[in-house]
Amino acid sequence: MAQTLFIVGVNHQTAPVAVRERLAYAESDIAQALVRLKQKVASVAEAAILSTCNRVEVVGVAADPEKASDEIAAFLAADRGVDRSAFADALYRMQGREAARHLFRVGASLDSMVVGEPQILGQLKLAYAQAAQSGTVGLVLHRAFHKAFSTAKRIRKNTLIGHGAVSVGSAAVALASQIFDKFSDKTVMLIGAGRMAELTARQLKTIGIESLIITSRTFDNAVTLARDLGGTAVPFDNYKPYLRIADVVIGSVSVTKPIFGPEEFEAIIKERRYKPMFLIDLGVPRNFDERLNSIGNVYLYDIDDLGQVIDKTRAEREKEADKAEEIVEQELEAFERWMAGLDLVPTIKDIRYSIERLRELELGRNRGWIASLEPSERERVESLTRSLTNKLLHRILLGLRQGTNSADDNAYAAEVARRLLCGEFDLDESEFEAIEEDDDGGI
Amino acid sequence: METLWLLPAVGCYTLSAILFLSDRMSGKARAGAAALFLLGAGAVLHALDLTARGLQAGNIPVANFAEALSFLAWVTALAALVLIVRLRMMVIGAYAAPAVAIALGVSSAMASQGRVVLPAPLRSVWLPIHVSLAIVGYAMFILAASVSLVYLAYESRLKAKRPLKSDGDRMPSLEKLDRINYSLLVWGFVMLSAAIITGAIWADATWGHFWSWEPKESWSLVIWILYAGLLESRLTVGWRGRRAAALTIVVFAVLVSSFVGVSLVFPGKHGGTFG
Repeated sequence: MAQTLFIVGVNHQTAPVAVRERLAYAESDIAQALVRLKQKVASVAEAAILSTCNRVEVVGVAADPEKASDEIAAFLAADRGVDRSAFADALYRMQGREAARHLFRVGASLDSMVVGEPQILGQLKLAYAQAAQSGTVGLVLHRAFHKAFSTAKRIRKNTLIGHGAVSVGSAAVALASQIFDKFSDKTVMLIGAGRMAELTARQLKTIGIESLIITSRTFDNAVTLARDLGGTAVPFDNYKPYLRIADVVIGSVSVTKPIFGPEEFEAIIKERRYKPMFLIDLGVPRNFDERLNSIGNVYLYDIDDLGQVIDKTRAEREKEADKAEEIVEQELEAFERWMAGLDLVPTIKDIRYSIERLRELELGRNRGWIASLEPSERERVESLTRSLTNKLLHRILLGLRQGTNSADDNAYAAEVARRLLCGEFDLDESEFEAIEEDDDGGI
Repeated sequence: METLWLLPAVGCYTLSAILFLSDRMSGKARAGAAALFLLGAGAVLHALDLTARGLQAGNIPVANFAEALSFLAWVTALAALVLIVRLRMMVIGAYAAPAVAIALGVSSAMASQGRVVLPAPLRSVWLPIHVSLAIVGYAMFILAASVSLVYLAYESRLKAKRPLKSDGDRMPSLEKLDRINYSLLVWGFVMLSAAIITGAIWADATWGHFWSWEPKESWSLVIWILYAGLLESRLTVGWRGRRAAALTIVVFAVLVSSFVGVSLVFPGKHGGTFG
């Protein structure tokens, strides 16, 4: 019976986090869970579990995917101790081409909450590695996962799906990299130690900014954050002198009016000898006067400006996603062809064996006169028989592999070929001989 | 005087310019490698052309305006290749390649006037030194102006809050553009100074006086002073960024108009070249 790829699971589109978190497996539990699954769900031939904060999915292979899906849903409920009714509506089941498409789309980050985010591919690779370790990966999952990886890679390479900034922090980093060349000699200053300012500062640290100055109305907050991020806290009533060494300034204090006017800032930039400054205004109401942006070498982005950058990225990524979907379809075709060919594998093996066996039988029957030949002539007889059987085999395989679009057609063709070519020659040898004697007589 | 190599060189440069420009317009980097290859191929063919002319003339081929322009175009192409390859400044191709293509195109259109012979008093060991220095200097100024144009374009995008084309990470940063602009100006200035000094020494050897206030000499001095001022303002006041880029372009415009004007209107003893 043909094996079919299938997927059962929930994701961020079908289930709220309250459901996902109850079904999710910890990374260290997955190997054990796969072993339990294999024990309890006998109808599953191969299985892998993909569990991230956005999805819990079982990717499996079974002869009867309907039945296997049901059993896996029951297994998940029992294994995670979740009432089945709690996630029954959120659960999706896919099989065959649809399941393969889903797997490829997940790997390519087309099914992610933020399309194009890069983590999912690593998570998928981990899921595969864990399943391989638990011994629940077979021929089909091996192929399906690797095809998903290569599809994701091809999409990364040929589309801009992963480009651009999708968070305030990454937008800040992207802008900073357009202004500054080197980061190790730059200083970031935080005016206000809020959560968003902290996240932005952390992102900026990832690209190599080392020096950090933090000031906050509540000095303790500045000190805590400075300790946490490795910076220097300065008192809020005397932070302005530090501005002249700050290349990036992140403002996030609550104010009623901007904390600097343009004149004051003009003096600062002059003191800096016009070295560029990147001002990030995360405050609402805004911390920096918007006129600062018109000062030479000062670049001011407020929260809406950053939002626009992010929106643009999202729009661009969506456009790129269309291209990515096309690539998924192409790769799906290739995978389907492989799956269809898979049904033929045992048949082809049998046919090859039968024909080779026939050849050996014939050679054996003519052993006598062949032995009387010169070695070079013996060689030629041998090679003649081999070339004849190879040509025959080649034609048969070609015929079988052609038009292998649907698995059903394939199975039928395979069955016919098997019936025609894989008889039990040993038993029917007398019959063969009868035919051959006729032939001899004919000649 | 035509050589076999000239037209293919012009062709390569032109194609390269078109590819660079189309990438720049679309904001994508599809044809970058091909454009770069064509620019390189153009420079090789161009070098063959210059060599053939040089061998025929027995000296570096700068006997008239067309030849000097051709030589300048070649040095600019080489310097642009260095910038693009070493500093990953693909965007500079969109400015440098068209400039090179146009310069060589103009030069080849003007050059079909038979064999040019350098007047006897100018045949001297100082000729290649003086001319090469001046031309390398001008090439630096051409590239400095190109880098400045890129700077202004990027800067206005950032200021207008329209940054981040999808090829965001391939764009050089403003800081890098500014730094390269400065280096090019310094090198251009050093070369120009050396060209003026060697020119004066050569004039003294040939005519017995260092300086004769002919139009070319006077304008060279003006240009030298302008570039000196540009560098000085950066060193003392710290002017950089937009203002420095805009001034680089203005001074370059003065350079081009004065020298083209002088070369064509008052040939003087520079014989219509700008070397």
